[in-house]
Amino acid sequence: MNFYQNNSVLKVEQVTKEYNHKNIIEGIDIHLNQGEFVSILGPSGCGKSTLFNVIAGLLLPEQGKVFVNDVDVTGKTGIVSYMYQKDLLLPWRNVVDNGILPLEIRGMKKDEAREKVIEMLPVFGLQDHMEKYPNQLSGGMKQRVSLMRTYMFSKEIMLLDEPFGGLDAITRLKMQKYLLEILKKIHGSVLFITHDIDEAIFLSDRIYIIKGFPAHIVEEIKVPAKGSDTQEAMNTNEFRDLRAKVLKLL
Amino acid sequence: MRKFQNISDRLIPIIFMLFILFAWQFVVSMGWVERFILPAPTDIVNALILNWSDILMHTGVTFFEGITGLLVAVVFSFAMAIIMDQFVLVKKAIYPSLVISQTVPIIIIAPLLAMWFGFGIAPKIFVVVLVCFFPITINLIEGLQSVDQELIDLVRSMGARKIQIFSKIKFPYALPYFFSGLKIAATYSIMGAVIGEWLGGKAGLGVYMLRARHAFALDLVFASILVIVILSIGVFYGIAMIQKAIMPWEKLKEE
Repeated sequence: MNFYQNNSVLKVEQVTKEYNHKNIIEGIDIHLNQGEFVSILGPSGCGKSTLFNVIAGLLLPEQGKVFVNDVDVTGKTGIVSYMYQKDLLLPWRNVVDNGILPLEIRGMKKDEAREKVIEMLPVFGLQDHMEKYPNQLSGGMKQRVSLMRTYMFSKEIMLLDEPFGGLDAITRLKMQKYLLEILKKIHGSVLFITHDIDEAIFLSDRIYIIKGFPAHIVEEIKVPAKGSDTQEAMNTNEFRDLRAKVLKLL
Repeated sequence: MRKFQNISDRLIPIIFMLFILFAWQFVVSMGWVERFILPAPTDIVNALILNWSDILMHTGVTFFEGITGLLVAVVFSFAMAIIMDQFVLVKKAIYPSLVISQTVPIIIIAPLLAMWFGFGIAPKIFVVVLVCFFPITINLIEGLQSVDQELIDLVRSMGARKIQIFSKIKFPYALPYFFSGLKIAATYSIMGAVIGEWLGGKAGLGVYMLRARHAFALDLVFASILVIVILSIGVFYGIAMIQKAIMPWEKLKEE
């Protein structure tokens, strides 16, 4: 089942989390390799975000452990970066100053942090917007800033919790391509939550399918390599079969 | 079209006020109301000009009391709001008493303050603090507590300490709330000082009005009211300007 167990940066072992004495997620086993894009695909409200909160160290699981580079980090914050569906940008800070937030929290001087962020702006296509405040940006632009802030914290393990869920369909497709382009440049490892089958197949190297009450992993699917980074490349028989298979599992 | 709309929006209340003033002037000039019962607007302005140096001195005292009280109230409000935000138990214990304290009529408290603290400047400032403390604290608390929980989780996941969550997230988030409380308090501050002075003292617009009333100089009473209104509006706009300077991102919304 496990393809590259050896160089995994993140391992989640047998994690169970309860709420009000009922298990929400149960016996979750997942891993993420260096440079890999892995999706967790499942219906809304099934406990995917709870799993992310456990990985981020915000919640302590009843059972199981979280390892980052083979070190037990269960319940520890400040290790993986986290991006939400809401952009959660600070309205009183411009694009650059929103980007420096994670560096500031780590104790870096503001000027030094600003230099680092300004260096990265072109990668995220934000160089023309550095002085703008969030309420002057479109939804897609806000998510770009939010992604940059996530990256500024850490690219080793990025947890993206339905980051494009609040965008319209067209912007969403654009943002998916944008995300793949960015990842090529920054070589990050991503764990991605979604309930959109096409999005999961388009973006991922592997997909975990999660469902049920309590939620558990029902299948791990390896997505074949795509010829190009466009959504049109998904119209082959191979991907159509994959989509049908995923649909059946859900 | 939009600009025209803006101008007419501003003109309408001015025209209405002018109309009231003309009606008032007309009623008194025609002798329908005696001048010692209700002085005409022109009488009031005349009284203001004639007694300008006196009124200016008393205004200075009232302004000082009002601003000092407001600043003291801000300091106490911050301390109280931060403590209530950090310790849920304190908030549960204090919040109801805070609301109850506001239902006690200030006009009854003021003479007691004069009994306890004498007729100096301290009891006047105390009245201002009492009136201003509540709106600032309540708004500040609300601002601190309405920060999106996901935003707090996000910075927590970055490993932020409690003090960082407060200084980088909660405090700037609560600033607009603080300023709406402060603006309400500002309009109360001058009035609070006047109520304090009304009960006795050496100087201030409240004292001046009391003397004018005893002398049946109603034009001077009205002149003082005019000064109080202008002063209160001045403090209000002063604070609004500080707010704009501190929070430039707020006015970007319309662009």
